[in-house]
Amino acid sequence: MKKSLQRRMAILGLVFATLLVFLYIKNPAHDATPYFESIALLRQIKQLDARRELDAVKSKLGVNSSYDPLVNALSELDTLRGQVNQLGIQQLQATPADWDRSFGAYRDTAEYKTGLIEQFKTHNAVLRNSLAFLPTAASDIRNVILPMAHQEQDENREVLEQLTAQVDGVLLNSLVFSQSATDGQVSEILTGLDKLAAVSMSLPPAVTDGLDIFMAHVRTLIAEHNRVNELLSTIAAVPVAAHIDDLEYLLSSVEQKAIARTQQYRQYLLLLSAVLAGLLLYLASRLVRSYAVINRVNQQLKAANDNLEQRVQDRTLELQQAQGKLVDSARQAGMAEIATNVLHNVGNVLNSVNIAADQAMRQVRTSKVQGLARAMQMLNQHATDLGEYITQDEKGKLLPGYLNQLTEALQAEQQSILNELGQLTHSVDHIKEIVSTQQAYAGAANLVEPLQIDSVIEDALRMNNSAFTRHQVTVVKQFSEVPVLLLDKHRLLLILINLISNAKNAMADPAGHARTLTLSVAMVDTATLQIGVQDDGQGIEPDNLTRIFNHGFTTRKDGHGFGLHSCAVAAMEMGGNLTAHSDGPGKGAAFVLELPAQAVQEMP
Amino acid sequence: MPMRSLSCSLALLLLLPTPLSASPRHEPITPISPIRTADPARTELGKQLFHDVRLSADNSVACVSCHDLSRGGADSRAHSLGIGGKPTAVNTPTVFNAALNFRQFWNGRADSLEAQIDAVIENPDEMGSKWPDVVAKLVQDANYKAAFSLAYPDGVTQANIRNAIATFERTLLTPDSPFDRYLLGDADAISADEKAGYLKFKQYGCVACHQGVNIGGNMYQKFGVMGDYFKQRGNPTDADLGRFLVTRNEEDRHVFKVPSLRNVALTAPYFHDASARTLKDAVDVMFRYQLGRAASQEDKASIIRFLKTLTGELRGSLQ
Repeated sequence: MKKSLQRRMAILGLVFATLLVFLYIKNPAHDATPYFESIALLRQIKQLDARRELDAVKSKLGVNSSYDPLVNALSELDTLRGQVNQLGIQQLQATPADWDRSFGAYRDTAEYKTGLIEQFKTHNAVLRNSLAFLPTAASDIRNVILPMAHQEQDENREVLEQLTAQVDGVLLNSLVFSQSATDGQVSEILTGLDKLAAVSMSLPPAVTDGLDIFMAHVRTLIAEHNRVNELLSTIAAVPVAAHIDDLEYLLSSVEQKAIARTQQYRQYLLLLSAVLAGLLLYLASRLVRSYAVINRVNQQLKAANDNLEQRVQDRTLELQQAQGKLVDSARQAGMAEIATNVLHNVGNVLNSVNIAADQAMRQVRTSKVQGLARAMQMLNQHATDLGEYITQDEKGKLLPGYLNQLTEALQAEQQSILNELGQLTHSVDHIKEIVSTQQAYAGAANLVEPLQIDSVIEDALRMNNSAFTRHQVTVVKQFSEVPVLLLDKHRLLLILINLISNAKNAMADPAGHARTLTLSVAMVDTATLQIGVQDDGQGIEPDNLTRIFNHGFTTRKDGHGFGLHSCAVAAMEMGGNLTAHSDGPGKGAAFVLELPAQAVQEMP
Repeated sequence: MPMRSLSCSLALLLLLPTPLSASPRHEPITPISPIRTADPARTELGKQLFHDVRLSADNSVACVSCHDLSRGGADSRAHSLGIGGKPTAVNTPTVFNAALNFRQFWNGRADSLEAQIDAVIENPDEMGSKWPDVVAKLVQDANYKAAFSLAYPDGVTQANIRNAIATFERTLLTPDSPFDRYLLGDADAISADEKAGYLKFKQYGCVACHQGVNIGGNMYQKFGVMGDYFKQRGNPTDADLGRFLVTRNEEDRHVFKVPSLRNVALTAPYFHDASARTLKDAVDVMFRYQLGRAASQEDKASIIRFLKTLTGELRGSLQ
């Protein structure tokens, strides 16, 4: 169910993405620049065209004295036309025929107009020439006629003068005509010309030539004037502007279409984006809902976790309690074991003690002291003649020899008893050691009391004193100033006795040269006491350094492996630690005890 | 302070003795403005082509053959000789200032110098070539190939050959004629007689057609406005029909482009049919058939004196 939903969503997303890309590609990147450029060019062409008309009129009126303005416009128009055509073709790529048709129509019309303007120029030149010349032509006639008239008779003179007047009349009419032409004027001028033609038959050739020229120019004037006016009105009527408007319309309709298309695509895009936005909102709501679910599940999980933790704690507590009980029973068992051990060891040693005591007793019981007493009895019987007895009496003569033998026997006897007593003392020492070890286990109670450390050390030393003298050990004390500290005296003493005893044992080799035991006391910091016990005895193997604190580990033949172990345990129980250092066998060993200790506020 | 420096420079201007400071005159005729800067590489190429006989089919005729630059840009023949010695239909008009004409040829059938070059090269009576042949011939010339590739991105082509020649021809202007200098304000550039001739030129109406910068060359006119020139002359030819040959419009019968009068003293004989061998003949014909009036010999001589002030100087690449 969930998987199909996901797939549907993916497909939907893909569809929208495709649609977006499609719209993007299809949406024409519409650039309106060519359109505006074309419109500007068309306006310019229109303006130039209008100016051409104006220049034509100016030429007709004589304001323009040359046709260069009309000619210069041609090349300008050609250039603009080329540009517009290019732009138009570019814009109407879809329907080139439309553009070609409209542009062709415009071009043909414009060329037709150009042709008309050329004709206008041609006719206007002739018109202006005749117009300019007419007064001169008339005065030329007068100049010929007047001297002639002076020579002629009245009648002929009158004719000549009348002719002059007629010429002047035609001239006037023609000039007026050239300003504002009417049909009436034309017929009047033509009538005048007919009359002149009729008169000229009877005139001398000099007059006729001039008159012919005059009349030709008047006729030219009329013909060209009409032609020029007609051309001008035709030129004005040529629908170049309309064709330019057509082009503009064509371009703008294409532009409109392009804009409309852009608009349409924009709408599509809008629609699509709206749909996409809706989709997004939907997804957002789903996300929010999912978040809520996740939150809820999270909370449940947390609650379960808390519950679990509580249970774990409970169980742990139970376990701890069980363990405590276990430890207690183990401890008791241990204590029992130790007690057994101790009793066993003590029993063993007591055996030797027993033997030694028996031996000593037997020795004493069978002592030769009885012999000495008999000898002394004999001497006492002969106290008066002792000398004679000893020298003369048969028995008395044997007495000194006997006494000598007895002395030797008693000496041997004493040595034997001493040996036995030494053995006994040794065994008792051993028992003392075993018992003290047992005491270490037994005294788990933490009895803290104010201690003067050096006196404790002195106590410990005192207990081993006899051994030191026996083994020629020099004790060096490097005691710093240490305040009265709160410590467990029993444990500390146990540790110190053990360490000192160990050191003593380490130095008890048969070589018997002078030994030094160095004891040091110092406060490492305000709350840590450091006690060092250093000997120059047999040292410790590197391998053994880590093992010497183990229960039951010993290097001595008669050792038990309790001492250092119990020391380390005691140090730990006091919150401190015991460490051993040795540079190797024969190089001595150093034990360092570090204990947390609180100084006692001195009472005043 | 600016006022003072302005007055100082004004004083300096006023002190200048040169007539250049005089204002130009406002006349129907205008002086040739300075030559526009043309691409030198193309101009040089055009000059070579202008002198190159390979443009003609039989390698006998170059542009310069008829448009002799030392003879006023035309030749002195009535009808120039094309390939195979065939005479041309009309008298050769000068190439000088041709760029200023609004159309080319007597009947104005070419809109541009380029079109004129096309027509001459392919005219069987003139150069008789085909463009592909011309291009092929020129491509073989390594010098042309190099020069063209320098001057044009696409090397030797019909359009580029045409353009080079036209570019060269656009430099063939003749400014600085005495009359131009007079128009530009140098009152002493022409004599009093010549000034009088100019006055007559205007009074008699010559200026109705011969006006503008090229003193003609900017309009069409019927040859024989005030009389039938061709009837009088006889021997009508096709060429006499003028623009009618182009437009087939009855109105254009005998209508020709009004030729420029610049350097007119150098370009005899005159008219499309070379019927006038001297300026005097030409002026006579003009008076009779175009102006339709009589004039004294003195007046005509005066006008001819004026016409001789229209000879300018070739500048640029030909000096």
